[in-house]
Amino acid sequence: MSELLQFLIAGLKNGCIYALVALGFTVVFAATRAINFAQGEFFMLGGMLGVAFWQLGLPLPLAAVAAVAATAAIGALFELLAVRPIKDGDPLRIIIVTIGGAVLLRQLTLHFLGPDERPLDAFSAGASFKVWGAAIERQTVWIWAVTVVSVAVLAILYRRTAFGKAMRATAIRRDAARLVGVNVSLMVTASFAIAAGLGAVAGITVTPLTQTVFSVGAGMGVKGFAAAVLGGLGDPVGAVCGGLLLGLLEALVAGYIDPVYKDAVAMVVLLLVLFVRPQGILGGSGREKL
Amino acid sequence: MRGRRLRLQMAYLIAALAAALALTIVAAGCGSGDSGGSGSSASPGAASGEPIKVGAILSLTGTYAGLGEGEKNVIDMEVKRINDAGGINGRPLEVIVEDDATDEAKAAAAAAKLIEQDEVVAILGATGSGQTMAMRGDVDRAGVPQVSMAGATAITNPVDPLVFATPWSNTIVVPFTLQYLKDQGITKIGLISDSGGFGKDGQAIISAEAPNYGIEIVDDETFNPGDTDMSAQLTKIKSSGAEAILMWTAGAEAATIVKNAADLGTDLPIYGSHGIARREFIEGAGAAAEGITLPAGKILMPEAYGEGTEAFTVATDFIDRYTAAYGEAPSTFAGYAYDALNLVVEAAKKVQGDLTPESLRDAIEQTTGWVGTGGTFNFTAEDHNGLTVDDLTMYQIKDGDWSQAQ
Repeated sequence: MSELLQFLIAGLKNGCIYALVALGFTVVFAATRAINFAQGEFFMLGGMLGVAFWQLGLPLPLAAVAAVAATAAIGALFELLAVRPIKDGDPLRIIIVTIGGAVLLRQLTLHFLGPDERPLDAFSAGASFKVWGAAIERQTVWIWAVTVVSVAVLAILYRRTAFGKAMRATAIRRDAARLVGVNVSLMVTASFAIAAGLGAVAGITVTPLTQTVFSVGAGMGVKGFAAAVLGGLGDPVGAVCGGLLLGLLEALVAGYIDPVYKDAVAMVVLLLVLFVRPQGILGGSGREKL
Repeated sequence: MRGRRLRLQMAYLIAALAAALALTIVAAGCGSGDSGGSGSSASPGAASGEPIKVGAILSLTGTYAGLGEGEKNVIDMEVKRINDAGGINGRPLEVIVEDDATDEAKAAAAAAKLIEQDEVVAILGATGSGQTMAMRGDVDRAGVPQVSMAGATAITNPVDPLVFATPWSNTIVVPFTLQYLKDQGITKIGLISDSGGFGKDGQAIISAEAPNYGIEIVDDETFNPGDTDMSAQLTKIKSSGAEAILMWTAGAEAATIVKNAADLGTDLPIYGSHGIARREFIEGAGAAAEGITLPAGKILMPEAYGEGTEAFTVATDFIDRYTAAYGEAPSTFAGYAYDALNLVVEAAKKVQGDLTPESLRDAIEQTTGWVGTGGTFNFTAEDHNGLTVDDLTMYQIKDGDWSQAQ
């Protein structure tokens, strides 16, 4: 029983990280109808920049916030320089540009921050909590808390503010949004900044547990993408559910079948969803996203 | 309107091209800086004449970049030292470094390039076991000797006449470790190993050898390189009745394993492999690294050789020079590169007459009693690793540093 509980804790921990990365995919997809293959690199940047700022002497909380802000700025800059010039926002071209952007971000990080694995202190020191024979690391609690707060902030932003309404209008119908005076290009830039920020939040909160290195982005990108597809691309609630579900599935496969197949889970899930239920687990007709 | 947009697109295109150009120049600048340590930098009055070309295939990027970087540092440092001291019998040494990006196909391509275009007399590398094995076809075809810095048993067993290796292979380290476990009174272990070359190799040897030491593997767990959460495997080991955890991996995941184990509250002692004998492990694992026991060569603490011995002098001289040049102590992996390069150089010095790949290979195989950083190398036609258990010591991590285990 405590074994199962331990697996579930591990699953929810990784699931939260996948959920944040999947939300990033979703936000950009909603605004552009394109898949941002640089999303995993934003996850990597969050961790790498956070460690770099921290090693420069910034206190950990400040370094974390600075890393998220810097990554969001890089996301916005990337959109302005590489995505905005694309004629009519053709999704296929955006996808190709983001693939190139991912390689560029990875190589620049390698060049400036080096090839080594970098560790980071836990957000708060101390022994794990014990619950019914299972252990919960303090950092795992941080991951859960940060995920809940990020999702809540995003929900309020989208549901309650004029900016959020403009984002949703862009997502639902671009031309119509433009006609009623929404600055559509600004919304697309904002979507990249938000997606990059979400990726960075995931990257910096998981680094104390896993360390980070310039090359972690691609693997996380695949996991996040699978989670986003599982939940139905463009559906933020689905992205969070997809992420949690993927994390739990992986943990159970690792626990009860064989850890070697853990990474295959995301791929199998991705293929199954695309074959059987392309609109995702929560998706209805495939419309009415966001 | 259309014209303006087009102009704008052109402007972006030009900007992108300029950026790409700038990047290339920066990269090229670094590239030429990298080769600065090669034969061309020999000071006047030192070695002269036709340079002796040796190739080195290292993982400067990719998963093993952390290992390859130190190896390259050593090669730059040693080439300069050797050439300043007169080179190899008066001829300068030139080492041509290729990056395999921890990719097997690239390693094979680099080997082909070094053999065909640069006509090297020997190849050092690769950093990783998979990359080392990937170039075997080219090495065998060309008859060029290869000295690897990777640890899988398959590299030197069965013996390929052309291929040597400097790290202690798992066939030496595993029995040494199991003997130590037995001496500690441990009879049941939970094994966790990576599914890559090094872990798989270790896992197979541990499974075969454990019964000889009265040790039972009560739980055999694996993980994939790059995995970031091992709590599932450790939870199972925890409830398996194991008295200790034996962790066989060379990857950065080792830090995650010991951290997860500490967080799960497993009080089991953890024993590692020589693959984690690098500072990044202690830094990555932090407080969780305390008390971890691992086998490694004496290079980590040269006093293990005994002060005044030749091995002590070689090791401390290497550590001092490396630390002076790069501001940090060398890893054991840097030591593998030191040994690989110097084995080739010492053998080349002994060759009478023409220095060809064949004569160099024969000279390397005849190496006996040569003291490197990893221990004393004695190559024979049957043994291309040349080290013994006498070259190993057990370490325990205490206060964030290596200490000798009791």
